[in-house]
Amino acid sequence: MGNKFDDIVVNAVNSQEQGIELMEKLIAVAQPGAVYSEPIASGDYTIITASEVSVGMGFGYGIGGGTMSGPAKGETATPDELESGEEEGGGFGGGGGGGGFSMGRPVAVISIGPAGVQVQPVRDVTKIALAFLTAAGSMLFMLSRMRQVSRF
Amino acid sequence: MERLKQMIGWQTVMGRPVTRGDFTVTPQSQALTIRWPNGGLVWNRPVAILVERGGQTERIRIVDITRVLQWGLLGFSLVLGIITVVLTVLHRRNRNG
Repeated sequence: MGNKFDDIVVNAVNSQEQGIELMEKLIAVAQPGAVYSEPIASGDYTIITASEVSVGMGFGYGIGGGTMSGPAKGETATPDELESGEEEGGGFGGGGGGGGFSMGRPVAVISIGPAGVQVQPVRDVTKIALAFLTAAGSMLFMLSRMRQVSRF
Repeated sequence: MERLKQMIGWQTVMGRPVTRGDFTVTPQSQALTIRWPNGGLVWNRPVAILVERGGQTERIRIVDITRVLQWGLLGFSLVLGIITVVLTVLHRRNRNG
């Protein structure tokens, strides 16, 4: 029983250490290297892309256990245990889980050429269209409400 | 307060300069870091580039057009909603006397 508990504790500690390691990797996303790409040269021009990056994660774990007098459910006491009166049962268990997300979106392209340095923004047409449709829907709803009110 | 500072960080970081011809471009980014005991969140976005040429430095802002338009449309919808509510209330008051 003691060995089992030790194994669970050791595994839980390992999981925690792995989680902390993962957290350190997460913090690396806060560096500018995660946002700006490596320069790509093409002819006289050099291109660098700039992106917005978001990363999030969480993890958790737990262990628990207990002992009870008498044989555990489904177990029978050995003759030695019956003789000595040292009948006991119980168990330990543990578990953990985690989750996370990451998102990257291009924001601009930086071009360095003979004419100088230019920053060209990147438009996400899908996101803009979705925002426009949502805004248009809410405007139509408001206008219909205004008309209803003005009738009465 | 100190613990809050350890949990939440907002910093502007300079990247590795890139030199091409006469130009030296230094990228600048802004990162929001939120840490809690069993996890964390990082939001990193490009802010500007510093262009150095002939001893002169120029700062060029990087504007996120998509984000600006999204917030603009949201703001416009909110303003329209507030105007509608105000007009509705005024109309009811006038009708009731």
